[in-house]
Amino acid sequence: MVQVVFEKVSKAYGDTVAIPGLDLMIESGEFVSLLGPSGCGKSTTLRMLAGLEQPTSGNIRIGDRDVVNLAPAARDIAMVFQSYALYPHMTVAENICYPLKKRGVAKADRAIKLAEVAALLQLEPLLARKPGQLSGGQQQRVALGRALVREPSVFLLDEPLSNLDASLRAHMRAELIELHRRLGKTMVYVTHDQLEAMTMSSRIAVMRAGELQQFAPPDEIYNRPANVFVAGFIGTPAMALADGSLADGGGHLVVHVGPLAVALPYAAAARPAAVTVGIRPEDVLVGEGPWQAQVRLVEPTGYETIVALDAGGLALTARVPGSKALRVGETVPFDLRRERIHLFDKSDGRRWKPAGR
Amino acid sequence: MKKRPAWIVSLVTWPIVLLIAFPLLWMLITSIKPAAELFSTSPTLLPKAITFEHYARVLQDTPFLQYFANSMILATSTTVVVISISVLGAYSLVRFAYPGRETLASLVLFTYLLPSVVLISPLYLMLVSIGLANTLASLVIAYTSFALPYALWLLRSFMAGIPQDLESAAMVDGASRMGAFIDVVLPQALPGIISTALFTFILAWNEYLYALVLVNSDEARPLTTGVMTMLISAFNIEWSLLMAASVLMSVPLIIIFAFFQRHLTSGFGAGGVKG
Amino acid sequence: MPDIALQRSGLSRERRDALLGLLLIAPTVLVLGAVIVYPLLSAIALSFQSVYTPTLEGHWVGLANYRELLGSGGFWAALLTTAIWTVGTLTLQILIGVAMALLLHQNIIFRSLARSLVLFPYFLSTVVAVLVWRWLFNDLYGIVNHGLMAAGIIDAPVNWLGAMPNAMLSIMVVGAWKFFPFVVIAVLARLQTIPEALYEAARIDGAGPISRFFDVTLPQLREVLTIVILLRTVWDFKEFDLIYLMTGGGPVNGTRTLPLIVYQQAFGLNQMGMAAAYAVSMMLVMLVFMLAYLQRARKAAA
Repeated sequence: MVQVVFEKVSKAYGDTVAIPGLDLMIESGEFVSLLGPSGCGKSTTLRMLAGLEQPTSGNIRIGDRDVVNLAPAARDIAMVFQSYALYPHMTVAENICYPLKKRGVAKADRAIKLAEVAALLQLEPLLARKPGQLSGGQQQRVALGRALVREPSVFLLDEPLSNLDASLRAHMRAELIELHRRLGKTMVYVTHDQLEAMTMSSRIAVMRAGELQQFAPPDEIYNRPANVFVAGFIGTPAMALADGSLADGGGHLVVHVGPLAVALPYAAAARPAAVTVGIRPEDVLVGEGPWQAQVRLVEPTGYETIVALDAGGLALTARVPGSKALRVGETVPFDLRRERIHLFDKSDGRRWKPAGR
Repeated sequence: MKKRPAWIVSLVTWPIVLLIAFPLLWMLITSIKPAAELFSTSPTLLPKAITFEHYARVLQDTPFLQYFANSMILATSTTVVVISISVLGAYSLVRFAYPGRETLASLVLFTYLLPSVVLISPLYLMLVSIGLANTLASLVIAYTSFALPYALWLLRSFMAGIPQDLESAAMVDGASRMGAFIDVVLPQALPGIISTALFTFILAWNEYLYALVLVNSDEARPLTTGVMTMLISAFNIEWSLLMAASVLMSVPLIIIFAFFQRHLTSGFGAGGVKG
Repeated sequence: MPDIALQRSGLSRERRDALLGLLLIAPTVLVLGAVIVYPLLSAIALSFQSVYTPTLEGHWVGLANYRELLGSGGFWAALLTTAIWTVGTLTLQILIGVAMALLLHQNIIFRSLARSLVLFPYFLSTVVAVLVWRWLFNDLYGIVNHGLMAAGIIDAPVNWLGAMPNAMLSIMVVGAWKFFPFVVIAVLARLQTIPEALYEAARIDGAGPISRFFDVTLPQLREVLTIVILLRTVWDFKEFDLIYLMTGGGPVNGTRTLPLIVYQQAFGLNQMGMAAAYAVSMMLVMLVFMLAYLQRARKAAA
């Protein structure tokens, strides 16, 4: 069942167009991340869904209702803000009960709901405190509690973890995944952190300059990025991208990139004139192979070592297992996982699928 | 970690502080000195005898209490009127989008600087023509001309400091726009509203020019012009009486100052300097 | 709730929002229109008329008031007096204010009591301030003359308010006493936001206390001082109560500033039209400072 629909939604601030026209369909029970660099329109999209901002044109539906002209209160949504937006003059209990109170839930029922949510999020000892007396992680839980208490049909989360420190963030990520699994509710999650998006989402909507780049499950986003932007944006260290060209190497396809001519296991039928070639660090195999590269930079992380290579002008990054003793300036042989090389049509930046794949 | 007190700086600062406070101290001393001591050729710093007769006379023999009541009514009504209008107005200026908003904000700031003497003649004509001359109501109306822009400007900067996410959260949680204003914005703005109200009260309590021009009967005369009338009408200026009146007139300010100094200084920063 | 009524109106949400905003600002606009915009326009209109205050009867005289005003020496003399008063008292306010702020920023004993004592004059009614100072300056029994004579600085009582230039100097001092706390609060607030690291860095670079003041403190205070000076210029320029109550503009016209002339013309000489012409001219002079402040304050608010 479709839960949330954006139909040709656009948003302009005066003459500045933030979102030219967005189409997006979110299924019921999905965990969807809106991912992109800052200023890509992901927060605006969420705020339009919440009713905090008005689209310039287009339609937004939640369930079977048109919500564009509904106030936020009437949309059956709950939202967690990046700043948590806890009401500073109310206690934790009052904060959590506020949405119930506003909907006219009887006092006794409010107490029951409060107890449930407090137990779920382990907030019991904090109920009488004011937000100012809580740590960042506790405030985060209260904000979640305030969203959960009402059992809305859609949860909106606007970078809820970005104000937490790294270890707490990892912990909360796991808790959010568990929460989503348990509640089975639709969640729309805005983040600029690809790790959050990759680990939590059932589908990721990658956005850039107000336009949807790709909307797909995490593994597809990673393994088959729809265009050069998604390819470069997803993955750390980033995919190496370089201009190249395709040629017919006697029936099979050959890609020329930098000084390399890499024969690919595809037929050389119709092909674009110029391409952008993308190679992920894990697909560069250092140690043996037909090509030579000079080591530019070595970054050991313990588990693996990130190596920047220069193959005759072609900049590549490689992941080498362990802390292999490589020296800067040394020349090493390398090979590529040919079937995993990404090709994008240079004319429009889109992923190009060779025939026979 | 508490810093060590700076003794040498204290030794320099305190005499200056006392010098600045001296006129007020002298006011207090004069008000409790017997009249005879006042005109001695060699006045002493501390009174030889303490008397409260001047206070008794101010309260019994002069219309001081009438003036005091007038000032109280006047300053309180001005504060209530100005705060109720400016709280809504400031919220509108801070959070809503409509054509002319920026122009209006600039206009408010401009009127905040406008000299009263420019407005006084037309206001006098206007209030006479609607038959309000010589009433406290006429003064409340006149006082809004300087207190409202002032209050708007102060509250505007207080409200701009309230995170907008709070209202968004309240609206998502089920509040209407005005509901969010009442549930979230008002409680958050309360310290700002208190300092603005205190400032408005002080401004109205201390105002002189409009009271001088618009009111010439004891029934509606506030303290500022009232006490000056006592000075002018007396054949011999009775300084001890005037000093006692001055002390009594300052009592509400001392109370405000003693209990709300933090509010006053924060309001000060918000309106006067930060812009 | 007005917004719920608006919700049922069938207008788009954006429109309803703007309408609610206009509804909230409406009382402000109405009141400001009635007590400021209308009187301001009337003042300008009045300045082209000749109005006799007691009967309030008037007729148009065109630019005659302005011609008379610019031709008479009174306006120019008062403008000069106003400028002298403003520059004099403002200089004192700034010097005392900055010095006091620097001292009160130190960790002196009983600091908060000292701050309260220093700030109090600003919140006091001008009427009270004037009464106290007139008593202090009293030529026969005033403590100022007594004190100065006892100290041997003067050997006969000085007429502080009845002679020039004493009267001008006296009101400057009273103005400084009454208004310097404004400078103290503003500067003190700014001083508290200067990061300690700047001073530490300066110390490491070998700066002594004096060069720390000129190289670290003063540049940090520049912005706040500009705003304070502009604001206080406007306020001192239009000061009426203090001067009117201290000297009434005297002796003769020695301390008669522009606001006093406006009042005198309107309610002493009963020439409301002429008074308006004075008021409008005065405002035009002030406009430079008002616009400068406006521009700064809008920039700071943005």
